Amino acid sequence: MRQRLLNASIAIFVLALILSWVFHGTGVVKNDLKRNIYIPATLTIPLQVKAAYNGDKMFFRYRWPAKEPHLYHDMMKYQDGKWERYGKSVPGPQPQGIYEDRVAMLVDDGAVPEFEKYGGYITIGDRMRFFTNEAKKEEVEAHAYLGKKKQVEVGKHLPETRSNVADWKSVVPEAQLQAQRKAGYFLDLWHWRAHRSNPINKSDDQEIAEARYGDEGKGVFFTNWDNDKKQPKLMFDTAKVGKTALNWDDLANRKLGFDDLYYLREDQAKPYDPKAAWKNGDTLPRRVLRKGEGSRADISVHGQARWKDGYWDVTLVRAMDTGHPLDDKAFVDNRVYTVAFSVHRNAFGSRWHYVSLPQRLGLNRQADFKAARFDGSEPKWEQDWQNVTLFYPGQVSWPLLNSAKHAGAENIKKGTPVRARHSEIQLAHYGVEMEFAEDILRQWRYTLLAGVLLIAGFGVAVNLLLAKKEK
Amino acid sequence: MAPYHHLMVHFPIALWTTATLVILWRAFSDKPLALAAGRVLTPLLVLGVVTGFIAYAIGLAIFPFEAIGSSPLGRNKLIAATWSLAYWTLIAVTVWRLGNRVWEGTARWVMLLLGLLGGALLTVTGALGGHLSGSPSAVSQLFRLLGWEVYTTFYVPNFMLAVLVLAAVALVATGMAGRARR
Repeated sequence: MRQRLLNASIAIFVLALILSWVFHGTGVVKNDLKRNIYIPATLTIPLQVKAAYNGDKMFFRYRWPAKEPHLYHDMMKYQDGKWERYGKSVPGPQPQGIYEDRVAMLVDDGAVPEFEKYGGYITIGDRMRFFTNEAKKEEVEAHAYLGKKKQVEVGKHLPETRSNVADWKSVVPEAQLQAQRKAGYFLDLWHWRAHRSNPINKSDDQEIAEARYGDEGKGVFFTNWDNDKKQPKLMFDTAKVGKTALNWDDLANRKLGFDDLYYLREDQAKPYDPKAAWKNGDTLPRRVLRKGEGSRADISVHGQARWKDGYWDVTLVRAMDTGHPLDDKAFVDNRVYTVAFSVHRNAFGSRWHYVSLPQRLGLNRQADFKAARFDGSEPKWEQDWQNVTLFYPGQVSWPLLNSAKHAGAENIKKGTPVRARHSEIQLAHYGVEMEFAEDILRQWRYTLLAGVLLIAGFGVAVNLLLAKKEK
Repeated sequence: MAPYHHLMVHFPIALWTTATLVILWRAFSDKPLALAAGRVLTPLLVLGVVTGFIAYAIGLAIFPFEAIGSSPLGRNKLIAATWSLAYWTLIAVTVWRLGNRVWEGTARWVMLLLGLLGGALLTVTGALGGHLSGSPSAVSQLFRLLGWEVYTTFYVPNFMLAVLVLAAVALVATGMAGRARR
């Protein structure tokens, strides 16, 4: 009988261990759009990069996998007398798949020293947009400085633009911000978008300082909505493109490709006519593409940026020195730069991107990868790709990384680079767990205790069942 | 405190690893040398538990709980270390109390199971310690193959918590039932 009980004890113990192993890590991590939580199925993706320069122009070529291209963005569908919007930034994937693919690159020349060590993490401040605890629109609009700058959310910004990194409101005085900018304390942001405005072979040119701004000048797209009249500003010019609107079904069924009209160009548009014979399903892009002017329009697409056989292949080109030192980082031969990349795909927007750790780029200098110097106007791209792993970063902010909640905060104070301590896959998992920090901590505590109880119970059983028989 | 933890942790690792080998040997052999090895098991285990407790206490002082409790690797290390300590304490108490009885009949196979599980827990704890100190080993690849990503916190869902507590109660009840039938 005791033998049977002993066997039963072993069976209970081993079965409990096996079940724990099988079901571990479940029951907590789940999507919760109300809390701005959506976990992508894939946490890391590869990105390939090459860089080249000819003394006058700087070229970057990017290649990354995507199941299908997402070319459409921010559309307005006419329905029962109203224009309904589809394709704004939402948590997780845009339900109708109307959100453009993107590749972006942050560039620094050494003026933002933390960037070389921690990359884009330094730009993620307190209560960022689409974080669970994001600052409310009204709060941002009411901020004396950010409100004046027409900010409606807390976007990427650099740590020293705040007197307290853990408080997004603590923007340093405007004179100090200007001095920082003159000293080069900003990150240049190359921002290519498949809809805004790849069709006209342009890329957006932005920077990150106390907020994310477009460079000076005229942007390569603008919003096609008249807030006063509550109607689109422009519609297609039938005389130029043979139609007044797109057809919603063509978009929903992804019928329109690179060679079709799926975007609205300013020079192909005319003022919106509310009296036109609009019918249900007529669709107008909510963004209008234009050439752009000034520093904002410095970056162009070289050749054609296209998706083919499961991969995007995008090449961007810009003058090495744009002559806009307050907006752009000039590329100079024999210098080393720090770059970091991000990719949006699968109709994900805002913070649901994949990002890289910082990479050092050398122009005739040793670095993580080197830009190839060439003569002429066309890069030969003979060098190998620089393979970069991009990862989903989750909700990890710079204030958090410098707080008591991060065991590595001391290492940051000492200047230890992130790559010395963490891999991309590790950061991806950490990013996900940070989104459920309290729930996971609670569950882990209970698991620890339950495990100790199980061991203690097994100990009691074994000791009682193996003890000598009493005489 | 990290250097002192690294220094101290050598002792339980060495003692429990040796204990695992002794258990393996003794479970399959009744030869004089195996019997002699079996006799040193109790001091090995007791010393392992004592030094293990000291290493554990020093380890707790390396990072504030707020930091270690916020890190998946930190949480995993802490849970593995706690379970290792509890588990080897169980083995030490069992061997101390029951003496040679643990090698009689089917009891030796129970000891073999205990030893193997103890060795496995020790491996997990050590591997996680390596990760946490910035020297990850390939052992974590094995864990991944077996279905556990070490960069994610090891926890179980609520229904499994209930199962574990019920299992613990059932185990105690089983032991009590066995004692009542003596």
